[in-house]
Amino acid sequence: MKRDELAQAADPEAIVARVTEQAAELPQQDQGHDHGHGSPTESTREVTYRGHHILIRTTYHIEVDGMPIQGHMGVTNDGQVHYHAIPNLSFASAVDLVKQLIDTFPEDFEAATDHHSHGQGS
Amino acid sequence: MAAIRRNILTDETARKNYLQGVKLLKQEQLGPTTTDLSIPGPAVQVSTYDLFVWWHHVAMDTFTPPAQGDRNAAHRGPVFLPWHRFKLILLELQLQRVLNDPEAGLPYWDWAADGQLSVGDQPDSPIWAEDCMGADGSPITTGPFAFDTNDPSSWRVRVAANVQGQLRATNRGLRRAFGQSVDTLPDQNDVAAALDLSDYDTSPWSTESEPSFRNQVEGWRPLQSAPGLHNRVHVWVGGDMLSSSSPNDPVFYLNHCNEDRIWVAWQQQHPDSPYLPDQTASEELRGHRIDDDLLSLLTNPTTPRQMLNPGDFYTYDTLQVF
Repeated sequence: MKRDELAQAADPEAIVARVTEQAAELPQQDQGHDHGHGSPTESTREVTYRGHHILIRTTYHIEVDGMPIQGHMGVTNDGQVHYHAIPNLSFASAVDLVKQLIDTFPEDFEAATDHHSHGQGS
Repeated sequence: MAAIRRNILTDETARKNYLQGVKLLKQEQLGPTTTDLSIPGPAVQVSTYDLFVWWHHVAMDTFTPPAQGDRNAAHRGPVFLPWHRFKLILLELQLQRVLNDPEAGLPYWDWAADGQLSVGDQPDSPIWAEDCMGADGSPITTGPFAFDTNDPSSWRVRVAANVQGQLRATNRGLRRAFGQSVDTLPDQNDVAAALDLSDYDTSPWSTESEPSFRNQVEGWRPLQSAPGLHNRVHVWVGGDMLSSSSPNDPVFYLNHCNEDRIWVAWQQQHPDSPYLPDQTASEELRGHRIDDDLLSLLTNPTTPRQMLNPGDFYTYDTLQVF
């Protein structure tokens, strides 16, 4: 690729126009958490072996202090579990994965702890 | 004239330009707000720097194809290297614009050299010095990106992924936690092993591909030592580098610049090894084939093929990668 083919990439007005156009096509993000009503995340694996079609659906229901973990969770064919919010890691154990989430997103779990303890006291 | 990308630890001009440039981009607000980007909550202006954070998060959120949950539009598949080359070129063009220097080049961090240090010495590498990237902390309190609650111009994370994998507006300091999840950085033996692989990528074109230069550089293989190379740097630095909004930490670009340098070295070492998959591959690989559009939110899209020779944009001061 030649430099002049990307000349518009450094033009602030062109960036704003492109961002505006692209953002309008993206789905609105979830407006909040549905505490207490966790939706499962399902991972599907499909493999053909000796002419047989193997389909494995794995469903996770994970809660921490009552807060459901609702992001995308997947399992690869080698059995490694991964989670969308921590994209550079895979785990042999979903428990280890959730421990990593607690370390990586401390404020999200502080909120969950508050919510959990307030709920118990009321 | 093409920029020359240099080692941030040995070139003072490259280091100062980068630190100044990313701060200028962090302060620049072109108009889009969090509401424009479909981020819930009150509308807050988003800086040019943070538009790159948003782009990265959206790419990671775009599965290719949507029916599976492994490959996305920028990771876990063949497009990992060309997509990030494209992203770095675009950031470099922004740095050149705000610095008014058409030859300003992104610096790289030769983390494999730091990976040769003892475990205890790695957090004390000069890259984490006060006059370079600063050290770790939650928030970090040293260096050019240190957080100061009383100084609104200090480096602040304004959009970040939450535990549910959604991008949210925030206003806090940058976080790092060296060596918390893995003890060591990748070392030169790891880089040498990746360079020995002659196939760019292979079926199933995912985190399970083996042997695959792309998959090994990205860090999913060898499985017994994963996370490797790119992934291991993210994980070793920790904090904000762990999430899909990892470009919040300017170390992100230093890591990927070194990844890109390793790819250029590999291209020179394996001149007869093509980018794969080619355009005859299954529709299931849309987004990863050589002439497919790369997901681009800031400018018109390009393709992996158009990213194979970046020489019109930049070169590296050295391709001695281990």
